[in-house]
Amino acid sequence: MNFRLLNNLKHMGMNMNKNNNYIKRLIFSFLAVALIVVPGTALAQQAPDAIKKDLLEKGKKVYFKRCVWCHGVEGGGDGPSADRLFTRPRNFIQGTFKIRTTDSGELPLEADLIKTVKNGLPGSAMPAWGEFLGQDEIVAVVNFVKTLIQDRDFNDTEDEEVNIMDFGTNPWGTKGPYHLGIPQADVDAGKEIFIKNKCFECHGGEGRGDGNPTMKDDWGFPIVAADWTQCWNFRGSRRDAFNPFNVVRTISTGLNGTPMPNFREQITVEDRWKIAAFVNSLCPRKNIDPLTNKPIPDFLIQSVYTEGPVSPKIDDPSWQSPDTDSRIVAPPEEIAENPKRHYIAMAGQITRGKRNFDPKTDDLWVTSRWSAEENAVYYLVEYHLRFMTDDPEYPDAVAIQWPAKLQDLFGAEKPYFIMGDSKKPVDIWKASFTPKDYSATAAPNEKGYQLDVSVEETVGFGFDALQAKESEAKVQVVDSIYHQGRVKIMFKRDLATEGEFDVQIPTEQFIPVAFMQWSGRDKEKDEHNAISTWYYTILKPALPASLYYMPPIIAAIFVVFQGWLVWMTKRTRKMYDEGKVKRDELPK
Amino acid sequence: MNKSLVSFLVFVVGLAVFHNAIFPIFTPKEVGWVLNRYVYFLLFVAYVIITNLILRLKPPIAMNALFVWSLGFYFYKFVLYPPIPWTLFITYMVMWSIGTFLYVSQDPETFREFRKPIVKTIVGEYKFAQIIMLIAMPILVGFATYNSIYPSYQEPVELRTVHPAPPATTKVHGKTYPLESTNNPFRVDEQDNYKDSFPFLDADKTEYMKYVTEGGTIFFQNCHYCHGDQLNGLGMFSHVFNPTPANFIDPGTIAMLQEAFIFWRVAKGGPGLPNESTPWSSAMPPWEEHLKTDEIWKVILFEYWYTGWHPRTFGTEGSEG
Repeated sequence: MNFRLLNNLKHMGMNMNKNNNYIKRLIFSFLAVALIVVPGTALAQQAPDAIKKDLLEKGKKVYFKRCVWCHGVEGGGDGPSADRLFTRPRNFIQGTFKIRTTDSGELPLEADLIKTVKNGLPGSAMPAWGEFLGQDEIVAVVNFVKTLIQDRDFNDTEDEEVNIMDFGTNPWGTKGPYHLGIPQADVDAGKEIFIKNKCFECHGGEGRGDGNPTMKDDWGFPIVAADWTQCWNFRGSRRDAFNPFNVVRTISTGLNGTPMPNFREQITVEDRWKIAAFVNSLCPRKNIDPLTNKPIPDFLIQSVYTEGPVSPKIDDPSWQSPDTDSRIVAPPEEIAENPKRHYIAMAGQITRGKRNFDPKTDDLWVTSRWSAEENAVYYLVEYHLRFMTDDPEYPDAVAIQWPAKLQDLFGAEKPYFIMGDSKKPVDIWKASFTPKDYSATAAPNEKGYQLDVSVEETVGFGFDALQAKESEAKVQVVDSIYHQGRVKIMFKRDLATEGEFDVQIPTEQFIPVAFMQWSGRDKEKDEHNAISTWYYTILKPALPASLYYMPPIIAAIFVVFQGWLVWMTKRTRKMYDEGKVKRDELPK
Repeated sequence: MNKSLVSFLVFVVGLAVFHNAIFPIFTPKEVGWVLNRYVYFLLFVAYVIITNLILRLKPPIAMNALFVWSLGFYFYKFVLYPPIPWTLFITYMVMWSIGTFLYVSQDPETFREFRKPIVKTIVGEYKFAQIIMLIAMPILVGFATYNSIYPSYQEPVELRTVHPAPPATTKVHGKTYPLESTNNPFRVDEQDNYKDSFPFLDADKTEYMKYVTEGGTIFFQNCHYCHGDQLNGLGMFSHVFNPTPANFIDPGTIAMLQEAFIFWRVAKGGPGLPNESTPWSSAMPPWEEHLKTDEIWKVILFEYWYTGWHPRTFGTEGSEG
């Protein structure tokens, strides 16, 4: 008897009208049989946590002040904000909750819901309420939310039961925040299990959630698989992004209401921890801001001086650098001197014109080198994108934005960060691209997809006043690829050019720079895009020669000083001993 | 065994045991009157003094000085909480070093005793120490020079005026509003009467809650991305922008401003700021492009209702939450 099928059946039952009670009962009797028949599922079984009636009045007050705006008056997940959110707010009516410690299809524990309210659901609009509301208010509002569930009943001890899953314990005893030190053998074993269980069908070949573009949740809304390389966006990360337990819990319980099943039949608890080790090894260790739950952006993009010409190939060793912060894990010796991969936070452009409330990308990674010999600078811009489009009308695109008249800016002054303003124009280097031989539903392609790239240079006097440059195009995209859910575009331009609105790039100076990204599948165009704020970039000079001769010189001077000190002290001693000078006498 | 060596071991081993075993006990999540880091530090100092007294170790003055100086270093570096910035640490340690020096030079006898091992090292009576010093110090100096020459780059610090001086009037949707005498047309009643009212449920019953509900609806369709579901400036896009979005819970924002000022800020947004407030990087939209005048006023009404602050009015200073 297939237990998962039954779970799904049961789950579907939950989403039907509550009048179909007899179906529910039927399915539950099946489930009861299944529990007896299927061995090895010994779980702690209990009745759901009953609703605490005395807290409801207080809970209602909290709900209608804090929660109603997204979750709606009746808890249908249809508050005023809902239509502009992706992920949409939870619809409570069916009693379907993703982050639980109970079995698939079951109601959550009260403790699960409390943790969700306290920690929020990172990567969505649900904030962490733990520091904002008191414990009593949180417990009260959770109990009130339970009363909003219409299709099921927390007080129904006859039909409802919850089975707390067995998660085992962390076999490596790793500690937060980064949970480093898991043996590579276990990570590799986890990868084998990942392949065997075909997790890539939804999560993609390298876990960027780029497997399946057609998924829907129980309510028919589109849904995407988690991007494992951005674990701070895991809904169930509980503000502890790198903890493998989060992954073990999800594999063990599934995510109700989504296509994510549980795997507790197919994968043993020990193996679940190994797969969690693999999943977490994909997530770069970054310093996570506890307030926003996102990595802290690298506000200064350092372009590294390169001896001779820069390699224009993304795969070249000189362009390799770890995603992980090198202050947390030291990079391998051979790439330690390579430029850092800078984290750029992105948001929907929700300020001007046609606003973008659901951007498909929330960060870019930028690496840069420059060469005095070539007199040129290179920017490698990468970002995660689950699915591309081949619609030539709405190509995917990414752009770097500069002040067009850098020399005219005074002090901290900059052009308006959304495509400039009438007085201070910006220079926009935009690369638009479509993949070759691409199908969003195809199996993971290890080689990646080549891109048809076209570069436009635009002068922005405001988002509604963009002009294509009249001067000759200077910006090149020298290499590009779309590989396992990640776009990589390498820009190159000469430091000095002739065009009136071309940014002239000085070395050793802080230059404002910003980024924009358009998702073709989302039909993003013009100001309907994702943007960053102004960052700075600097073309770092070569290491000064004095670095090599000054330390020995200073050390030598110090040796001389030491010799003088020894000589002086010995001389004074000798003078004391010969009685030429009297030692300082103590007062009587 | 050499008493000085015993004294040294008492200090070093004691510090290792205290720091690794006892310090965690004294730094629980809930800090108490006894279980806190300062009591721990006093205990360690008491341990050092009492052990030396009981064992009659009488370490030489130079070693005493070392102990005193190390205790100060340990306190400022590891015990003091929250951790102090590097520059402040240097300042404190300079003071502490001067104090230690005053302690050893309190009378000529102790000062001579203090100098004795140093002089002996320099002239070579302690041959081993002399060799180590003569070799190690120049190497350290060389490394320090290397570190100070090695170029490092920090992003420039930029200051901005958070609440710029408002203009006398502002023109929104073709109508000019004098900021000094404009009030929120939807503030139809005393806000505190509606503390315990429900948005949506009470929207049909009272006019005030109708406006609050409408304002909240607009807020949660437009503003929460930056200013947050909790109005604390931590919305889902807040980390992207610099300057960071305003936190309305903070007593330094809407609590100390007049509603007309906020009306001006909301209507004109980032591009309407003067230069000292970096209009080029503010992500605040000029909301007159997206909202009607009435909608702006209702959002403002909602923000005060939600946070419990009262707008500043003429003749009163500040407000109560």
